[in-house]
Amino acid sequence: MIDKYSALEKLGLYTAIGIFLTFMLLPFVEMLLASLRPLTHLFRSPYQFWSDDMSLQAYSDIWVTVPKLPRYIFNSVFLASMTTLICMVFVVPAAYAYARFQFRGKAVSLALFLAVNMFAGAVLLIPLYKLLRGMGLLNTYWAMIIPGAAFLVPTGIYLLKSFLEKIPKELEEAAFVDGASRLYTLRRVILPLAVPGLIVVGVYSFIGAYAQQFLFAITFNQKRDYMPLPAGIFEFIGYQEVIWNQMMAASIIGILPVLFIFLFLQKFLMAGLTAGAVKS
Amino acid sequence: MATVALQNISKSFDDTQVLNNINLSIEDREFIVFVGPSGCGKTTLLRIIAGLEEASEGQIIIDGEDVSSAHPVDRGISMVFQSYALYPHLSVFENIAFPLRVAKVPEAELNQRVEHAANILQLTNRLQHKPGQLSGGQRQRVAIGRSIVRNPKVFLFDEPLSNLDAALRGDMRVELASLHQDLNATMIYVTHDQVEAMTMADKIVVINGGNVEQFGTPMELYHHPETQFVAGFIGQPNMNFISSTRTASTATNCSIKADGIGALTLPVSSCVGKEGDSLCLGIRPEDLSLTSSGQGFEMQVKVLERLGGSAIAYGTINSQVSGEQSFKAVLPGDVQVSPGQHIHLQVNPDKCHLFTSQGDAMHRLKAEV
Repeated sequence: MIDKYSALEKLGLYTAIGIFLTFMLLPFVEMLLASLRPLTHLFRSPYQFWSDDMSLQAYSDIWVTVPKLPRYIFNSVFLASMTTLICMVFVVPAAYAYARFQFRGKAVSLALFLAVNMFAGAVLLIPLYKLLRGMGLLNTYWAMIIPGAAFLVPTGIYLLKSFLEKIPKELEEAAFVDGASRLYTLRRVILPLAVPGLIVVGVYSFIGAYAQQFLFAITFNQKRDYMPLPAGIFEFIGYQEVIWNQMMAASIIGILPVLFIFLFLQKFLMAGLTAGAVKS
Repeated sequence: MATVALQNISKSFDDTQVLNNINLSIEDREFIVFVGPSGCGKTTLLRIIAGLEEASEGQIIIDGEDVSSAHPVDRGISMVFQSYALYPHLSVFENIAFPLRVAKVPEAELNQRVEHAANILQLTNRLQHKPGQLSGGQRQRVAIGRSIVRNPKVFLFDEPLSNLDAALRGDMRVELASLHQDLNATMIYVTHDQVEAMTMADKIVVINGGNVEQFGTPMELYHHPETQFVAGFIGQPNMNFISSTRTASTATNCSIKADGIGALTLPVSSCVGKEGDSLCLGIRPEDLSLTSSGQGFEMQVKVLERLGGSAIAYGTINSQVSGEQSFKAVLPGDVQVSPGQHIHLQVNPDKCHLFTSQGDAMHRLKAEV
């Protein structure tokens, strides 16, 4: 298929992309610039896009203002990793079952999973709070991991299911004829071929877990030692003033792990998705 | 190695009857080909023998043992799939070794058996490659290698050559036939290509609409097709069918008037019925010969395919029923005929086939076999 656009159409397309990107990226640019400015100059008028007094001072000050910052960063990564791990443990067998078996209630349960996704986490905060209190899990890491994983499993199942369905059934039949059990086939044949799909689901879960932990952290956890970074950033809000530049610096550091994972895996994802296309 | 017997096998998916009371008995070391048009149930039958599909009714007996509900490995079968079903992430070695790894065969024996299979199939210098790096014919051989490494009693092939180009298919036919001689195994082979069936089979099973139309050696099927379907399916190019009416019959012959050809008396038995019955005359294109004008019947040639040694003429003959009827004839390779020309053909009644209006063949008394 060859698409040819006139110069006017191209201009329109690029303008639209430009506006879209500006809206998407401008907050990040402002965040970076704010982190580089001295606090006293933040609200300077007239607005200056670039000034000579910019420095990395805030990036060294944050560790003094909030001494527990390394702990918060660790918590964030730890919580997201554990959530992803638990999510995968449930998603892989469930997605395989949905992709390959016929059973009663298959369509209904899949629809229910989607319905769960329609509720924003906030709606379920109070019931979840009561549930976690009943189980004695409040103020533990589990209080942030379990709800996080529960919200990510349904979409994970959907993503991996559609990926597994693309793996030819004949491969499994061949393994079956050769005497392999379902689990052996899953381990030796299906999962190695599903690696690109597993990475997609893993990245999706990690980023999702990283983003949603804030809500669960401020609701289900009071212990400062267990707080993830988004909640820890609150400590930059003082009684008298908000240390905006340091807050922005800490936020950028908080985004970095996700950014790295994304940049590193994006290349791999593209390669993986084409290499995994099973030619039968 | 093994005999295979199918007893009253039926299969239906929901309300659709796919196989209808199939009975077959396959001798030890035979090369059996299931052939039929697509959707006739031949692949389903193979999958039932493999144990990938369960028969709705009936038993599968391998080597005298009822294996109807046994696991494929316990049946002693192995299968080569139409798409080869190679594991793309494993090397050729690991692909071939897969059944042995499942069976936890010791490393030394495993190596030796894979090497042996690779030797037979000329894959020795490809063992470390991935399937994606191989040509179609090599992938085919890896799939066969994976099936022979386990020393099964029965080999099952599901249209294994249909993904190959014509030249390679011819080579692989010969390789498979010689592999059958080397391995001395019972093989069951599914194809829709009657050329593969004729060239490779010890015995052919023609399947149509879930029923076995006929089971016999290739030449039995060629000379004595039991039904009009088998007659039309076996033989290349396929048989001409001419509507005819019975004029007289005795115990050993049947006189007919064939539309566009004229009166013929065929040496067939069991030609019971009365005058005026409508019958169907079958003439193989290769049983026709050219004659001088004024003799035989006339055919108008529309397309002439020259194959070198012979030429196939496609055209029409006059018909009282439909004006003209399509007709094929095999002519000598260097025949001086051009499209549009009329030629005169004659046919030896001994070589003709005769079918009732139900499609059942009458037994030919002067056939070669």
